[in-house]
Amino acid sequence: MNKLAISISIVLSALLIGGVVLMGSQSSGGASGVATVVDGKQFIDITAKGGYSPRVVTAKAGMPTVLRVQTNGTFDCSASLVIPKLSYQKFLQSSGTEEIIISPEAAQGTMKGLCSMGMYSFEIDFQS
Amino acid sequence: MPKSDQKTYTFHVSGMHCNACILMTESELKDVPYVTDAKSSLSSHSVEVTGAFGNKTPEGIAEELTQVLRPHGYGLSVERVQKDAGWGDFVYALPIALVLITAFVLLQKAGLTNLISGGSVSYGTAFVIGLIASVSSCLAIVGGLVLSLSASSAKEGGTWRTQALFHAGRLGGFFVLGGTIGLIGSSFHLGLTANVVLGIVVAAVMFILGVNLLDVFHFTKRLQLTMPAWASRHVVRGSRHDHYLAPALVGIGTFFLPCGFTQSMQLFALSTGSFMQGALTMLVFALGTFPMLALLSFGSLNIAHKPWKGIFFKTAGIIVIMLALLNLTNSLATAGIINPLFNI
Repeated sequence: MNKLAISISIVLSALLIGGVVLMGSQSSGGASGVATVVDGKQFIDITAKGGYSPRVVTAKAGMPTVLRVQTNGTFDCSASLVIPKLSYQKFLQSSGTEEIIISPEAAQGTMKGLCSMGMYSFEIDFQS
Repeated sequence: MPKSDQKTYTFHVSGMHCNACILMTESELKDVPYVTDAKSSLSSHSVEVTGAFGNKTPEGIAEELTQVLRPHGYGLSVERVQKDAGWGDFVYALPIALVLITAFVLLQKAGLTNLISGGSVSYGTAFVIGLIASVSSCLAIVGGLVLSLSASSAKEGGTWRTQALFHAGRLGGFFVLGGTIGLIGSSFHLGLTANVVLGIVVAAVMFILGVNLLDVFHFTKRLQLTMPAWASRHVVRGSRHDHYLAPALVGIGTFFLPCGFTQSMQLFALSTGSFMQGALTMLVFALGTFPMLALLSFGSLNIAHKPWKGIFFKTAGIIVIMLALLNLTNSLATAGIINPLFNI
C-alpha cells in the first residue's frame, strides 16, 4: 500500500468528518422563536414538516401553555411526535393543527420534542 | 494411474470465509484432472489436496491451483499467510463510506420532504412518498437493515433468490397488511416503549452484522449469523426447500419498522376504510421504495463476486455500523434518556 494513497485517504476522511460535524453544529444554532402570550396563556407555534421549525422556542415558566403543532402535507417522521417529559406520543394528521396543553406545573426547565425515530427535534426553553 | 504417484499436500487458502466456500473450493479443485481428492477446512483456512502431481514442487502446485481458484476470489499458498484482515482495504473503504454518509446528510438538508404538498394522498403521491422515503430518514433504518442483511447473505454465498424473496415478502406484506388495516381500521402503531425497544434491537442486529462485514475482529465470529453448512450445501446445489421462509418473513416484518413515512402511509390506509384502497396505497408506497432497496440488495450480490469485494464489504460495514449507532442514539433520545445528538 503506497503512502500517497494512505495520506489522501486520511486527509479526505478528516475533511468529511469535519464537514459533517460543522454542518451539524450550524443547524443546532438555527432559527429560534418566542412564545406569544394572549390573556394569561402562552402559545407556542411549531411547524412540523421535514423537521421542526423553529427549533428552539423561549417561553415563560409556570404559565398555562398551549403547544400548537402545525402539519401541512407532512408524511415524514416529524408527523410522529414524541414529547418524553409529557409521556406524549401521537401520530399527527398529515395536514392540520394539533393543540397540546402543557400545565403550569409541567412548564418548567427545558422540554424536548422529537419525532419517533429521533432524527428531528425541537426544544422549548421555559425561563422563570 | 499408479497409486504410488499420489501425494497429499496441505495448502493455505486465502479469501475463504464461509461454509459455501468449502464446497466451492473443493468442487473446483476436484475438477482439475490430476487432483483425486480435496478437503477444505474453514477453521484453519486450509485445503488438503491429494493427487498425482509428478515432480512438481509444492510451490508450483499452489501456483497452478491458484489459477483455477483465482476467478472465484481464492488463492493457495504453501506458507501460512499471516491472516490478512485486509486493513489496506480501509484506505479506500473509509473515504468511500464517509462520502456516502455525507451525501446522505446533505440529501436530508436539501429538504426533500418539501416536494410533497397537499393533504390528500393519491396513488401517485404514495409512490412519490415511497421514492422519497427510500432516500431519507427511513434509509437509515430500513435501508441499513437491507444493506447489512444482503451484504452478509452475499458474503455467505446467498443467491439472488434470497434477495428476491425478501422483496416479494415486503411487497406482499405491505399489500395484505395495508388492506387489513384499511378493513379493520385499527392501526399497527407500536407504543412508545415498543418503538424504542424495536429501534434498539434493529440497531444491535445492524451493529453485529456491520462488524462481521468488516471481517477484522475475530471474536465476533461467534456472534455471526452464519448459515449452517447443510444450508449452504442446499444453496450451492440449487436445492430450495429451506430458504423461502426467513427472508420473506423479514420482508413482511419491515412493515412494522419505525419509519415515519411508513407510519403516515399506514395512517392514511387506515382512514380509507376499504381493503382494496388500503392494500393498494401500501403496495404503491412499497413499490416507490423498491428501486433504492433493490439497488442495495442486488448491488451487494453482484459486487460480492468482484475482485474489489473486500473494499465493498468494509465500506458496507462502516456505513452499517454508523447507521446502527445513529439508530441507537435516536432510540435513546426518543426514550428521553439522552439528548438528541443528531439532527438531520
